[in-house]
Amino acid sequence: MRYAEWCIAAPTLEADIAAAAMGLDDIGHSRVLYGSLRELGTADAGTDESPSYANVPFLDRPWTDWSEFVAGNAVLDSAFTLMMESLANGNVDVLRTRLKKMLQEERYHTLHGRSWMQEVKAGAALTRAWRESLEWIGPENSDVDELHREGRLAHGVRDLRRLLEERLDGHAPPSGLEWHGWEPIRRRIQPGGIDQATLEMLQGLAEKRYMPASG
Amino acid sequence: MGYTRVHAEVHEYDVFARKTRVEPLHQVGSVVAPDDDLAMAYARATYDEERWVEMMIVPKAAIISLWAPGGDS
Repeated sequence: MRYAEWCIAAPTLEADIAAAAMGLDDIGHSRVLYGSLRELGTADAGTDESPSYANVPFLDRPWTDWSEFVAGNAVLDSAFTLMMESLANGNVDVLRTRLKKMLQEERYHTLHGRSWMQEVKAGAALTRAWRESLEWIGPENSDVDELHREGRLAHGVRDLRRLLEERLDGHAPPSGLEWHGWEPIRRRIQPGGIDQATLEMLQGLAEKRYMPASG
Repeated sequence: MGYTRVHAEVHEYDVFARKTRVEPLHQVGSVVAPDDDLAMAYARATYDEERWVEMMIVPKAAIISLWAPGGDS
């Protein structure tokens, strides 16, 4: 969603198109991932009577500067991709095949993010995105490590942190992570959530306003 | 070919693709980027409207032209 908001605002026409394409990719990836929850022993999305929306704080508000796009693309997207790779290399057979196309597409997200990271001084946004990526991966000995022990994930928390650092070569990870207040479902520490306008768009409520009244 | 835009220096790349193994690669367009990685990402994003079985990019500077429209020979 945040990618799509930049499809007419990026610094170059090519980056506009890439933002739109990556946004579309990630909508497709979300559909595949929600549909894969059952394979991991979790109830299907949308069956909960009180549905909630979970996202990392970096996505709570629209990005106001291109450096935020770059940081989200280079760091958070890489963290998400690493987790998908870890699932694809785990022992859940159906995910191996289902995630293959997704990982092919994510390769280009990584190329885009890493290259722009060389062009833009994303400083504070980069540190924030990295910190939130580590929060999203979670603390040691939590669900991620449990899934790793069961073989469903190819990597545990320590491996994922190391791989993320390798993928962001030359950049030091943030230190002093404090887990007090970490929410295991939303995988974040910072309170708050996505802005209402974006939530309504994601839920399809924004479009419904334009539907003809029935009856 | 290198010229300045948003980036300090960018290069032009031609994009080639084909839909089936039996057809030859043909040029489907071009992209401008500061490096090969971003050029690949841009080519994929811009020209992904078809189900290509193969896509590649070539730096325009690497192409040696023998003749072209408007030339002497």
